[in-house]
Amino acid sequence: MTEEVKAATEVVMGTQFWIATAIFVLVYGLIIADKIHKTILAIVGAASMIILRIVTQEDAFHSMELGIDWNVIFLLVSMMIIINIMRPTGVFEYIAIKSAKVAKGRPFAIMAIFSVVTAVVSAFLDNVTTVLLIAPVTLLICQALDLDVVPFLITEAIASNIGGTATLIGDPPNIMIASKAQLDFMAFVYNLTPVIIVVLIAYVITIKFIFGKRLTVKEELRQRVMAMNENEAIKDPLLLKKCLAVLAITVTGFIFHGMLHYEPATIALAGAGLLLLVSGTKEPHHILAECEWATLFFFMGLFMIVGGVVNVGLIKWMAIKVLDITQGSLLGTSTVILWFSAFASAFIDNIPYVATMNPLVIDMAKQLWPGVTGIDLLHHPDLMPIWWSLALGACLGGNGTMIGASANVVVCGMAEKMGKPISFKQFMLYGMPLMIESVIICHVYIWLRYYVLKI
Amino acid sequence: MKAKDLMIPVQDYLKPDDTLRDAVNLLKVAQRGEERVGVKGLPVLDEAGKLVGMLSIRDILKSVHPTYMDLMNLGEFTWDGMLEETAKKIADKKVYTLMTKDVITVKEDSSLMDAVDHLIKRNVKRLPVIDKTGKVIGMLYERDVFFAIVKAMLNENTGGGK
Repeated sequence: MTEEVKAATEVVMGTQFWIATAIFVLVYGLIIADKIHKTILAIVGAASMIILRIVTQEDAFHSMELGIDWNVIFLLVSMMIIINIMRPTGVFEYIAIKSAKVAKGRPFAIMAIFSVVTAVVSAFLDNVTTVLLIAPVTLLICQALDLDVVPFLITEAIASNIGGTATLIGDPPNIMIASKAQLDFMAFVYNLTPVIIVVLIAYVITIKFIFGKRLTVKEELRQRVMAMNENEAIKDPLLLKKCLAVLAITVTGFIFHGMLHYEPATIALAGAGLLLLVSGTKEPHHILAECEWATLFFFMGLFMIVGGVVNVGLIKWMAIKVLDITQGSLLGTSTVILWFSAFASAFIDNIPYVATMNPLVIDMAKQLWPGVTGIDLLHHPDLMPIWWSLALGACLGGNGTMIGASANVVVCGMAEKMGKPISFKQFMLYGMPLMIESVIICHVYIWLRYYVLKI
Repeated sequence: MKAKDLMIPVQDYLKPDDTLRDAVNLLKVAQRGEERVGVKGLPVLDEAGKLVGMLSIRDILKSVHPTYMDLMNLGEFTWDGMLEETAKKIADKKVYTLMTKDVITVKEDSSLMDAVDHLIKRNVKRLPVIDKTGKVIGMLYERDVFFAIVKAMLNENTGGGK
């Protein structure tokens, strides 16, 4: 404790501290208020941090600790490029139609298979992309079967958030944590994939209880689904073959990147470059223009804003407070981080949340093990469960409400366009219990694996 | 020649609260000049006669086309009867929910080239013509602009400037 008290006094709460804190609080507050687009807020906030000399432009643009994490940006943009090239091949339509036919047009089977497919695809692609690919087909199938589409859309959004948690590349919080904590793809596979498989199985069983009996379709309508020929979806078989080959190479690259000492962004960039090359496209500007630049600039802005509050010591001060609350107990800290992250991410965007929590966890580690630095600190055996708790809480927490994750926002937007708006309460009625169920499973997993069995 | 010289005065129009069923009925029989031929688009005027939108055949096509089909290529997976089913479902929707609200207009004194500029750049087939107070006084159709061009090419008497 004396260590911590001494460290606490090191945070100088001068003018700089309060200016940076004010920018940070204002930007996050306005993001939550949702009146001005979050990307604009992030850019204005970042510029303010530099203009008001909280961080230098040099640090904001080039420092890993205080500025833009290019590992995250290039990983995201590269995956977006790969998807943009793949989309017109029709492979995603093929997968979805095929899934509906495998389910033989039976409604719960469709719901379960779509959920599992969404989860698996989400583990490798961005969650929003995944739901944007599966939801239109879901809407078509539901119209064909004369089913209420709302339960299907909600279950898919939740499944995509669950699946995204499983790997390094599945969800932005994981990408950010991996970069900051220098964790590789296989570390996520070893530590998160097993519990996510359990969460997914529990999820499918739970939705069976909720929706299983409620969903019925007329026999003749099922014929509409069975009459669909999924092979017609494939528009460009040659390009599809190229895409699948490059994707296979890229995923192999992810599996071995730690061993080969390459950053994940390097692998993704190589994959994107290779696919651009072999696709034979003459118009790279179309493919690049379709990348979600608003999201990418949101990330860049946030990194600079968080860099500002790291620089003035706000994050360190917060880290000390967290340790005060948990009395330095590691099990206590990871439990608090798991549950706090889940509820925080249910109501605020998990991207700014994790952008803030990453340096906080590192500051906390510095307080706990003052003599340790670098990779030894980041990968301190006692720190690892805290990283996993942060990842699980922040990713799965998004399921709590319709604003908790971008995938939820997207499906709710689609439902509204189709004239079937989903209310905040309606989403939460399903999302919150399912989120709590998944976090309980994770809680038991973390306690059992890291504190009892210690494996 | 100016827009007002080529326009056809407004005879038929829709109200925002009309249903699509009313709208298609009127589209079917609306007058164009002297003849009752049906038109491909009608202005939507509020009670004060102010232009609030346009409803065209294209808007009707869009209204039966599910929004999710914009997002992906799903045309091959639709079924016989889907269009008719959807049409029945949306018949009672109000015109204001489906009309094009961002309407491109021309002033009565605008030149025909100005009208062509709008027709091309905004990819529309007809333009409401408004007077100085902003009231719609007529419709300028792509086809009639084309006939003005034909006339100019074949008969030198109708050249520009009076």
